[in-house]
Amino acid sequence: MRTPLPLLGGLLMSATLAATAQQPAVTFDRYSLDNGLTVILQEDHSAPVAAVLVMYHVGSKNEKPGRTGFAHLFEHVMFKGSEHVADGEHFRLLQEIGANINGSTTEDRTNYFEVVPSNEVELALYLESDRMGYLLPAVNQAKLDNQRDVVKNERRQNYDNQPYGTAYEKITGALYPPEHPYSWPVIGSMDDLSAASLDDVKGFFRTYYAPNNAVVVVAGDINPGQTREWVEKYFGGIPRGKAIERPNPPLPVLPADVRLVAEDEVQLPRLFLTWHEAPRGTREDAVADVLASILSSGKSSRLYRALVLDQQIAQNVDASADGSEIAGTMSIEITAKPQRTLAEMEKGVNAVLDEVLSHGVTEKEVQAALNGEEAQLVARLSTVLGRANGLATFQLLEGDASKYSKEFDRFAGITPGEVHALAQKIFGSHKVVLSIVPRGKRELSADPAVPQKKETPQ
Amino acid sequence: MNRAFACAAILLFGATMTLSQTNSQEPDRTRRPGPQPVPHVALPAIQKAKLANGLAVWLVERHKLPLVAMSLVIQSGADQDPAGKPGVATMTAELLDAGTGSRDVLQIAEELEFLGASMSFRANTDASVGNAVTLTKHLDRTLALFADILTNPVFPEKEFERIRTQRVTSLLQQRDRAAIVASNALMHVMYGTLHPYGNDASGTEASLKSMTRNDIVAFYKASYRPGNATLLVVGDIAMNDLLPRIEKSFAGWEQAQVALRVPPDVLPGRRRVVYLIDKPGAPQSEIRIGYPALARSTPDYFPVSVMNRILGGQFSSRINLNLREKRGYTYGARSAFIFLKHPGPFMASGGFVSAKTDSSVEQLVAEIKRMHAEGITAEELAFAKKGMTGAFALNFETQAQVANTLQNLVLYGLPDDYYATYLQNIDGVTLEDVRRVAAAYLNPDAMAILVVGDAKLVKPGLEKLNLGPVVMLDTEGQLIP
Repeated sequence: MRTPLPLLGGLLMSATLAATAQQPAVTFDRYSLDNGLTVILQEDHSAPVAAVLVMYHVGSKNEKPGRTGFAHLFEHVMFKGSEHVADGEHFRLLQEIGANINGSTTEDRTNYFEVVPSNEVELALYLESDRMGYLLPAVNQAKLDNQRDVVKNERRQNYDNQPYGTAYEKITGALYPPEHPYSWPVIGSMDDLSAASLDDVKGFFRTYYAPNNAVVVVAGDINPGQTREWVEKYFGGIPRGKAIERPNPPLPVLPADVRLVAEDEVQLPRLFLTWHEAPRGTREDAVADVLASILSSGKSSRLYRALVLDQQIAQNVDASADGSEIAGTMSIEITAKPQRTLAEMEKGVNAVLDEVLSHGVTEKEVQAALNGEEAQLVARLSTVLGRANGLATFQLLEGDASKYSKEFDRFAGITPGEVHALAQKIFGSHKVVLSIVPRGKRELSADPAVPQKKETPQ
Repeated sequence: MNRAFACAAILLFGATMTLSQTNSQEPDRTRRPGPQPVPHVALPAIQKAKLANGLAVWLVERHKLPLVAMSLVIQSGADQDPAGKPGVATMTAELLDAGTGSRDVLQIAEELEFLGASMSFRANTDASVGNAVTLTKHLDRTLALFADILTNPVFPEKEFERIRTQRVTSLLQQRDRAAIVASNALMHVMYGTLHPYGNDASGTEASLKSMTRNDIVAFYKASYRPGNATLLVVGDIAMNDLLPRIEKSFAGWEQAQVALRVPPDVLPGRRRVVYLIDKPGAPQSEIRIGYPALARSTPDYFPVSVMNRILGGQFSSRINLNLREKRGYTYGARSAFIFLKHPGPFMASGGFVSAKTDSSVEQLVAEIKRMHAEGITAEELAFAKKGMTGAFALNFETQAQVANTLQNLVLYGLPDDYYATYLQNIDGVTLEDVRRVAAAYLNPDAMAILVVGDAKLVKPGLEKLNLGPVVMLDTEGQLIP
């Protein structure tokens, strides 16, 4: 197998070479076990390493009201042993062979992975299968309580004790109606974490941690025939679960602008502007990526050049488009320099957006953005873990792993006119405007007259 | 390697086929699968050359991708900042691509975009490094731009002022981030301001405000010289193709003597002190415990690494299992010997729920004391050695990883056979070695214990621990009178 050669298509890209762009091909074998488990084997012998990655099609959007944060808490419980693997043994066995280990949870999916020396693939498959098939006999109240504490500490460390750390949940709470599953944060609220019970763990496991709701990817220096045997041996006997009902609310629409002000332990005020955009896998989401890149990627991008380089009123600015499974967001974050207000930031951003809305963007800007997109797509292919995660994500969230190596197709032929039209659509729609200001400095916000929103547990 | 792998595969096929004949019954899950034969790890083969002006060139050929990655490593980092002017080295690096004799800042940005190449210029405590990645077919133009940036920077006054202002503001923002405040303040109390490790490499408010463009120009002239540099190249090119190109781009780089200063010795501490930085309302306390310890050149690098892997160097370490998995005080806790050119710190660290601040300090200190007194068990030794051996295979997957291994060799003067003998060196560590280095290099009676947290809540508990005097510091790590 020689996938990496065409891989270089991306780095080749430049303003003049765009037409020759080539999406790197990633070849793989895909099949299903009788119990519905999807298996993907991606062979590549360039280094003596392999990644074993299991992705389950469950995330915070499958949570019930009053149990926010549960999908992620559950991910932690998955590391506390299973029927044939004692508490602590999962990590011990893998660290003993020098593996890189982790798991992560998003709104839409949960993954678990091990990057191992390639002679230890069987151990990783054994461990993953044991927790897929035999978790519940090993779960108890003490383990749940311990990981509940760990997750609460994760929330303190990465959200509550971080400057601007709770901005994101304030925004999603305002951007989506309360019944929409993207309206609450993946990390969840402290109250809901406290409420999670052993029965919740059992129910969640039986519903979502079934082979028919998962994909296993083994990528790297593997022997496919042998790996196939191991997968059958360890995963083949795990019973299929019931069909899963997935939340599928209509695309959300914000009926009017929402303007929020919050105080935080910060030195400088920051403004967050957020709009709805299309879900992942769509042309519109690809165009939104290009638009975001034109606005803030690199020193010559629109927002950076105007507000950071020329006017020097902002410390930094970032625009990003993020398409998830059932909705997406376009956001701009801008941090004011000392003595500047968020009203000035909003005015500055609006002036740049107005310019885009009236005159559009240039061919050269679109090409540069496409170059950046391709370089990013290629970079994700350079490791066994990146390929395993990419294949699993496209298989579960877009229904077909082969879309992974065709991702750039969605970007093909994007024109300045298309970017202009999408800018008009997105920036012409309603948005959430959140000001985070230093304690007692409401006058620095974009809305000095708006009363601070009362903190309510999600 | 391929042949060995194929053999193993056939053997295993036999085994699993027998199994599947008994019709997919569940495997015996009480038996852990063992490893296949250990795969061969192909180490980078390094070729070396030198230009007439003294620039050393190292190449590792990798022809699988039509790609070339380059790093120019300058042996002067923040450790060479002029006395009282921390931040000069990092400012110099950041300003390299702000303009050259023939290109201004936006022209450089646009040319990079056109080539589809990426470049970065940064300094850390030990070195200043320029990185570039390009397709082989664009190597000539990328190399020309890379060399222009590195050898003809003009440091425009306007860009100097802009970056300086941006940095002063960044320092202000850093005060919001308890983890950074804690680490910086610990370095400050351990090393003091006279030692470069005691200062934030990006500068202080005072040093940035007093810095002039002349400081940058002077640092550049004194440090960015071919004899003080090594150009590391990893990728799709042979030495006989590479060398003439490098000659062409870097031959004009003027040679000059570079005198590297050695920072003052750090005297070992004599007692434990508890430092507290108040962050009212903080839900967590960031804790750092440390003291100046070892340079990368220590002959005890391997036993110390094995010892720390058990103490706090991995998830299944004593510190993390105790503080996270047993007690649930934290999302993660760890320890590290930070090996630098000059003696770097030992540091145990983590963020811990505020109500358990004193217990967390107590447990961290207890783990360090226990290791100091007892070392590790034979089982732990085997566990650590096996893990480090397995992890070695994961070190050479990407071009960036290979470039990084070269940088380690260059920066720390490691022998050419360092990676070839790495596994042997790990394997040679004995229980007695670990006991000896734990006793010699862990220093539980003279550590700085630093806490960033809600003082009203955590101070009484810290005082009750009786580990040493509790001293209040501000967010810059300065004593509050």
